[in-house]
Amino acid sequence: MSTFSSRAPNRSVLRAWGLALAVLSVILPALPLGPLFAQPPLPLAVLWAAYGWAAEDESGWRAPLTLAVLGLVHDQLAGGPYGLFAAIYLSAYLVGRILAVLMSAPNLVSLWGGFIGTAIVSIGVAYVLARVGLGRNVSVLPYAEAAIITAIIFPIVRPLYMSASPSLRPGGRR
Amino acid sequence: MARRRSSVRRAGGGRKVPAGVLLGVILVIGAVALIGTQAGRTPQTEIVMQTGDEGAATAGRVATGPARAGEGFFDRLFGGWNSAARIEELEAENRELQAWRDLAERLAERNRRYEALLRMPADTFGEGADIDNSIAAQLVLDSGGPFMRTLVANAGDLHGVKVGYIAVNENGLVGRVVSVGQHSSRVLMLDDYNSRIPVMGESSRVRAVLAGQATRRPELSLYPYQLQAPRMDFIVGAQSLREGERVITSGDGGLYPRGISVGVAQRQGDGSWRVSLAASQQPIDFVRIIPFIPVDPPEATADPSATPPLGSSSSVAVIGRETMTAPPTAPSPAPAQQQRPRQTAQNQAPAQQNQTPQPQPQQEAPPPAEPPATPPQ
Repeated sequence: MSTFSSRAPNRSVLRAWGLALAVLSVILPALPLGPLFAQPPLPLAVLWAAYGWAAEDESGWRAPLTLAVLGLVHDQLAGGPYGLFAAIYLSAYLVGRILAVLMSAPNLVSLWGGFIGTAIVSIGVAYVLARVGLGRNVSVLPYAEAAIITAIIFPIVRPLYMSASPSLRPGGRR
Repeated sequence: MARRRSSVRRAGGGRKVPAGVLLGVILVIGAVALIGTQAGRTPQTEIVMQTGDEGAATAGRVATGPARAGEGFFDRLFGGWNSAARIEELEAENRELQAWRDLAERLAERNRRYEALLRMPADTFGEGADIDNSIAAQLVLDSGGPFMRTLVANAGDLHGVKVGYIAVNENGLVGRVVSVGQHSSRVLMLDDYNSRIPVMGESSRVRAVLAGQATRRPELSLYPYQLQAPRMDFIVGAQSLREGERVITSGDGGLYPRGISVGVAQRQGDGSWRVSLAASQQPIDFVRIIPFIPVDPPEATADPSATPPLGSSSSVAVIGRETMTAPPTAPSPAPAQQQRPRQTAQNQAPAQQNQTPQPQPQQEAPPPAEPPATPPQ
């Protein structure tokens, strides 16, 4: 185990990659690069970051502030109103903290289940807030599709955001 | 007492809320407040969104520059391999198009004669659209998000773009300008959820409302006035819409000029109609932003001295006025312009026999005019 730990990439490097993915998932859909880079099918990598940082007990101000900034940038690129994506990402962070405690077993099913729960709650939040911000005509279906794609891919990118060890999680044994 | 203190602690009185959670809750409340106030979309806060668009447009131009340059390079590189075959293909296409052009010219000439015969008003297709003063712009940002479908083009107020101008590309209508900054403008695309535009079938003339659906093709609502007209007066017209028929803007409502290509009507398995947008045949890169001045309502340009219905300038009223006999009683006030008699087969023959000017019915007696210098021939 100690050998594995010494070979594992630096935690801060992984976090940097996770943040880079989150930033790319906000910026890439805004560039006119074709339908392949639209959202969906591009995953909402900010949800990975929100859940991963919440589950890793990033209790400082950096995680929520970063999510708020990413949300506001996403709002700006999407044409507004400000606050919609920021609220979705921040609510995912808060829900992620609760679900990370409930699903704190150190196995993939538990971690994945926690993220699926977070994604489902974020769809509900998006449904309510999008109708408030964008009117009744708006549909949450495209967002739900993107969130489902994000949930399916989560096990592949999980090491970028969180470790399987429960030691750092809010409900984990220290 | 000690037991009581411990129960308070167990209930959470001694637990500290992590700073991240507290900040998260505060930020969520702030974000919801921003949504509630429609920050960035109201006239007061729109300047923030426009400033942000300016910066994002600049960044987008820089970010997509290498990709665009690469596309052009590879197109040129691989285009040379099959240039001979491409030239042959284009020559064949050119020959075919020349035949079509001859046919189109013949039909246009025949159409002109029919219109003259029927005294139709000038073609209203594209009326109000100032094509000559259109502004070419490049697309630099695409919202691409799950909720909105907007584009940001790199032409703004300094280039003469105003809110309400329409955006088209070489294939058809793209959308409408909804926000303008100094150097950029945001275009609401036809497939946005908030996009509702009146359209019609080009040959069947069926009226419909095109409703955006974001990730799916826009839906054709064939009974747009169903709430106002529950009897479904349009049901006969709806049935005459044909699969593959071109859909164009109808100009109803005055937001879009009439006659701009929107796409092709396609019937779905469930019986609903959708439009395959013409603008999305190819990736949207360049757009033309066209000034559009909507047609004034008749009330805005009506002659205040005119009396309805005979004073109205509609063709029905004009025909009615010209065919009615003058009342034998006191003359009515003089109109602003003298009406010329209709040139018909019935009134031309006697006019040739006696070309003495006749006073118009419904007009005040003209002031005594000088006798003609030459007698009528």
